[in-house]
Amino acid sequence: MSIADQDQVLDNPLSGISTLLDNVLPELSQLLPSLHKIQHELGYVPREAIPIIASKLHTTPAAIYGAITFYSEIRLEPPPETEIAWCSGPACRLKGSENIKRALEAVLDVRMGQKTPDSRLGLRLVQCDGTCEQAPLVRLNGRTMGNLNVSEAIKLGRDLLAGQQA
Amino acid sequence: MSTYEELRQQADEAWREWASPARTLIKIGLATCSKAKGAEDTFEAIRDEINARGLDADVAITGCLGLCYAEPLVEVHRPDGRRFLYGDVTPEKAKQLVDAIAEDGVSAELALAVIQGPDVPGVPRLEDIPFFAIQERRLMADCGTIHPRNIDHYMARGGYEGLARALTMTSEEVIKEVLDSGLWGRGGAAFPTGRKWDFLRTARGEPKYILCNADEGDPGSFVNRNLMESNPHLVVEGMIIAGYATGGARGFAYIRDEYPICVERMEFAVQQARERGLLGENIFGSGFSFNMEVVRGAGAYVCGEETGLIASIEGLRGMPKIRPPFPAQAGVFNKPSNVNNVESYANAPLVLRNGAAWWSSVGSERHKGTKMFSLSGAIQRVGILEVPLGISMREVLIEAGGGVPDGQIMKAIQSGGPLSGIIPASDINEPLEPEPFRDRGMFMGSGGLIVLDDTDCIVDLCIYFEQFAEDESCGRCTTCHGGTQRLVEILRRISNGQGRSSDIDHIRLLADTMRYANCVHGQAAPTAVLSMIRFFEDELKAHMQEKRCPAKVCRALICYEVGEQGPNLPKAEAICPTNAVVREATAYRIDQEKCIKCGACKEVVPESIQVLDAYQDVVAILTPL
Repeated sequence: MSIADQDQVLDNPLSGISTLLDNVLPELSQLLPSLHKIQHELGYVPREAIPIIASKLHTTPAAIYGAITFYSEIRLEPPPETEIAWCSGPACRLKGSENIKRALEAVLDVRMGQKTPDSRLGLRLVQCDGTCEQAPLVRLNGRTMGNLNVSEAIKLGRDLLAGQQA
Repeated sequence: MSTYEELRQQADEAWREWASPARTLIKIGLATCSKAKGAEDTFEAIRDEINARGLDADVAITGCLGLCYAEPLVEVHRPDGRRFLYGDVTPEKAKQLVDAIAEDGVSAELALAVIQGPDVPGVPRLEDIPFFAIQERRLMADCGTIHPRNIDHYMARGGYEGLARALTMTSEEVIKEVLDSGLWGRGGAAFPTGRKWDFLRTARGEPKYILCNADEGDPGSFVNRNLMESNPHLVVEGMIIAGYATGGARGFAYIRDEYPICVERMEFAVQQARERGLLGENIFGSGFSFNMEVVRGAGAYVCGEETGLIASIEGLRGMPKIRPPFPAQAGVFNKPSNVNNVESYANAPLVLRNGAAWWSSVGSERHKGTKMFSLSGAIQRVGILEVPLGISMREVLIEAGGGVPDGQIMKAIQSGGPLSGIIPASDINEPLEPEPFRDRGMFMGSGGLIVLDDTDCIVDLCIYFEQFAEDESCGRCTTCHGGTQRLVEILRRISNGQGRSSDIDHIRLLADTMRYANCVHGQAAPTAVLSMIRFFEDELKAHMQEKRCPAKVCRALICYEVGEQGPNLPKAEAICPTNAVVREATAYRIDQEKCIKCGACKEVVPESIQVLDAYQDVVAILTPL
């Protein structure tokens, strides 16, 4: 199979990805915009997209994979349906975020950065965005739940497991 | 092509509607911090209430005043010129607020301050409230009052006047003005901005690039965010002026992914500036051309290091390089470049608009101008403020910030992010300028001030910083990625009660070695640990020798026990995520094997649960002698 044919095979089921990159200039400096565009559309950057981006930007799949794994906001896996983003920042830490993390891990039975086997729930570590007035905080699918204590976090985790809160 | 005067005239007209509204204007601060506290819901609740009652009022958004502790903030501007500020306006309070608006009066009960107009009994004036009283708001003068997406508002307040003036000067004169002001880089390195610009001006190679470091990655630092969300044109104008002064033709503002509102508002500002001819070819007919765009990062702390930032813009992994060559010789795409922090660029329009003499009229003997700081941690009033350089930390943290929560004792202050150190609270009378921090082996940094009280553990905070440095190390040099790993290992051991007498010497040896890391990330990573050894030896020794965590944070050194049996213990049993609260016959106890020490039981039944010092010798249990 020629390289062009391989590209074809990879391209076909994912023609959407090529289309997404239609307006992107074929230069390496468009790497971050390309990754953001794909992740914005699909929620993550599928592995199959890597060679497509690489050929578009005239670089190697390894360079693309290297960048994806370097930048923590770019995901190679689809996000869970419901994501608890746990703020790892210092203000949260000083106000007991480690206890919240341990309790959530215990309740959901997943570790930070993982999701439940059915992909329904997941825990994700995020960096401080300066909403420290709300410390300690988590964000439930982007919605901030601030000034949280451990027992509230446990109740949140249990409610989510029971499917009472989306 | 419009001249500055034409644009200004147009702006002044648009501003009149905003500054002297014909009907009541309600402004809701909408930025990251207020959004997290539900300001969007407040906005909708107020708008719906106004519409439902058919009131003669407009509802609009504005940026952020910096009073994070009182968000969501709402300003009510009456047609008669009176302006009131309301704090903590939750959606539930919207009705009460609209009641007050409908009655053409002020709700003294809800009002935080009077911004303009006659005094109201029981309501302070904005400039008198403690968080405002010490401030010298120059960069933040229009933050939280103008519409962040309206270029006319910015121009009517004097925006782009500095650029117009700069364009009548030579590039050398602009640089001289910046040098005379005494402005130095606000990102933390404190290098004179004018000299840095002159390096680029005299550098050989075309095109030259103007790069804005808006990757404010230091956790606990959020001053740049405020500027970009509340007054983005200030940063854009600063970059254009830098372009003119240095011969730069293109600009990139590299903004971290965690700041989506900044990305959106900065992109919008760039587009508006382009539409008005403030970016593009032949700006104001001067023959000078400049273009810029916004680059959105993707979550990598080390991209805040200037060579890492350059690599990231180029489309590579954001891994720093060894300097020299410095960016002025070989920066982005190997072309001469200038990298400054957001706040440095934002000062340039003020210097050019008002002159170096005005700009340097505030500050200390050695350091001129103002500096923005963000306060967080164990402090009553979390927020962002702008003060003259050299003001004492006491004024900022106690008078404005309100000090630590009631009943607690201030223990320490952390400045400058995870690569900087921690100083004891006894240093609180020191001025906020680089020297006192440098003397203590650390940096003042880009503006983050985090306060610790006696419930916080220094060892635990150091573990956090070193873990952060380890996670965010780019991995290129072993000195850094290996050094941070070893530091984390040693600190974890100390926190687990397994500290060794040789550990302090080992940390010092690591720190000495890490000075040879390729970039500041590795070089400065041990700073927090070194400051712990220097200033918090007692607390460190308590962990190492007594196997005790005085703040009762390090979980290997504490245990939860049932003290007094009480009627509420079933609640503790119910909340425990690991079923470690067990009932035997009539008494409750905690199963130490199951307990993960999350503290939920103590939260719900504080009267019955105790936290005790309890070093568990893991090694002794696991390895029989």
